[in-house]
Amino acid sequence: MTAALEVAGLHKAYGDVHALRGVDLVVEHGQMIGFLGSNGAGKTTTMRSIIGLTSVDEGSVSWKGRPISVDDRRNIGYMPQERGLYARMKVHEHISYFGRIAGLENDIADQRAHEWAERVNLDDRKDDLVQELSTGNQQRVQLAVALVHEPELLILDEPFAGLDPVAVSMLASVMSEQVDRGVSVVFSSHQLDLVQDLTEDVTIIAGGRTRATGKVSELRQRSPHRMLALRWADDPPAWTPDNADTLEAPAGESRFRVPADVDAAELIAIAAQHGVLNSVSFEPPGLEAVFIELVSS
Amino acid sequence: MKRRQIKEIALREIRTRGRSRGYRAITFIMFALVIAAPIVMSLIPSSSGDLRDVTIGIAGDAPNGLGDALEALSTDFYDLEIVDLGDDTTSEVNARLDDDNIDVAVEAPANIAWSESEDSELTALITAALQRAEALNRATELELDLDDLAAVFEPIEVEQRFVDGSSNTEDVRSAVAFFGLFLAFLLPQIFGQLTMLSVVEEKSTRVVEVLLSQIRPTTLLAGKILGLCALAVVQLTLIVLGLLGSLIATDLVEVPASVWVFVPMLAISVLGGLAIYTTLFALLGSLISRQEDAAQVMMPVFGPLMVGYFVGQSAIFGSADSLLVRVLTWFPLTSPMLLPVRVARDAIGSVEVAISLGLLALGTYLLFRLAGRLYEFTLLRTGSRVGWGELIRLSQGNV
Repeated sequence: MTAALEVAGLHKAYGDVHALRGVDLVVEHGQMIGFLGSNGAGKTTTMRSIIGLTSVDEGSVSWKGRPISVDDRRNIGYMPQERGLYARMKVHEHISYFGRIAGLENDIADQRAHEWAERVNLDDRKDDLVQELSTGNQQRVQLAVALVHEPELLILDEPFAGLDPVAVSMLASVMSEQVDRGVSVVFSSHQLDLVQDLTEDVTIIAGGRTRATGKVSELRQRSPHRMLALRWADDPPAWTPDNADTLEAPAGESRFRVPADVDAAELIAIAAQHGVLNSVSFEPPGLEAVFIELVSS
Repeated sequence: MKRRQIKEIALREIRTRGRSRGYRAITFIMFALVIAAPIVMSLIPSSSGDLRDVTIGIAGDAPNGLGDALEALSTDFYDLEIVDLGDDTTSEVNARLDDDNIDVAVEAPANIAWSESEDSELTALITAALQRAEALNRATELELDLDDLAAVFEPIEVEQRFVDGSSNTEDVRSAVAFFGLFLAFLLPQIFGQLTMLSVVEEKSTRVVEVLLSQIRPTTLLAGKILGLCALAVVQLTLIVLGLLGSLIATDLVEVPASVWVFVPMLAISVLGGLAIYTTLFALLGSLISRQEDAAQVMMPVFGPLMVGYFVGQSAIFGSADSLLVRVLTWFPLTSPMLLPVRVARDAIGSVEVAISLGLLALGTYLLFRLAGRLYEFTLLRTGSRVGWGELIRLSQGNV
């Protein structure tokens, strides 16, 4: 089946600065992708290129198997990293206006604005000016603006930044609902634990290039390292496995990063020779560690 | 779809800017001024109407009834003061003339004395008055019926016509030309700056990023320009209707029918000026991210506006057909100010009007296309403003 969105080999330079050096991203229908990268990695430029806000020097953006057009882009809901709202417009008017801009008829835009104001828990604030809302509530308006025209693809640039836990929960549930409806979602975030809670699928970019893409569990398995955690009955011994990096650990515990191809049973047996073990854990690194490995490599 | 989006953008501009205190205040002030000015002028009592003050000295031995004749004949032209010179000697009369106590002296039997130079109009008046007074004196001597004689000398109403228009028409035309020049100079500044404000606002709040995810930059630009031009048309209509209504109500001036011929030209010129300048201001607004930087980028726009205004003024009061005026009538950034002036002064042919309007339309279109292209690169730029050098590179396609 043809992917909903396919980004291939994007290159973009601003003078001598190469923002993108080969970004690839594939999003299937009804799939949610966490688009991860450190600051300046090229996430926002990639997202803007998909929407057509930024032209690229090389590469392609395809929608349902063909080059994306201006009309196709109307099927995208976009939430920028920096919030873009008219401060002196009322909440309901705001959502309705962007619905009409996206092509909805007046009455439908009006009706959807009511529905979305209710869905993002701003029903009682719909006649307030946007500037009277808190940052979190403005974020809710921004989400409603991105969704009012029922897009097939949702692109959210750092949607959780600056939100309180209640707003994060609301936003996460809306995103999951959209995926259940068949909407494809791409979102960027630095909150990796949150990303793992929301989706299994991630694409990691660094230095303007795609470094890894796939399910979180696969990426963890692909890591060249494993994490060994040993809980001792007494104080941890002054022992370090061969070719291992010692990591910070809580009291009574030792933690090491060891090569993935090490024989785990043999390693644990050697460890047991240095003291009494209460528990042992040997597993691939978490998403955060994988991310750091990929970004710093 | 694109048309609907342009309409939505335009309507938002109309609602937002139309509700703003600035727009309402300017519209109210201008409307009040054009209504109040004729009313105030009609209420100010003129000390002498449009009559010229003249003091005529009459020697004691001048013909009887000369004073009455002068009064009767000068009613429509002069605010006359007659000084009885009594038995003043010639040197005393000369002294009065030199000291400007009197403008002219009439001595017996029919001499007119001036200080330096003759005023031919006054000479004609005094001559006619002398003849009338003398004729009445002789009729008395001949015991003729004075009533019959008065009927014979009853002044007739003389009316004038001018093949090339009366001086009143010229005055009204000049006034309309100045009014048009002023509006063509002022409105693009007001609405150009409102356009710039709107662009900078959308840039600084990042709304533009959301908008451009759904619409093209040219659509956004077109909607913005149309909305603000619509507000300008409302303001312009109110000003013109207010002025006309006030003029008609006060009956201050008679508007000759020929004036209406160039009122449409005035409207077209003002609208053309609005279109080209709002486009230019929108482009300049996209170069900056903060309203504080607006003054820096606006400066170059005031150059052609000032040149157009001052050359337009010189064309009203001086030559409306000089080489400079002709050249600037063809230049799209100055033609909106010079076209109505030259049409009002009847100093431009229909072919030249058509060429000038064509160049204005072409200039606006090309500037709009350029602004649309540059918009793509400048609207998303934040931080420091886009420099002129960079703007030139962008306009050449070097992104």
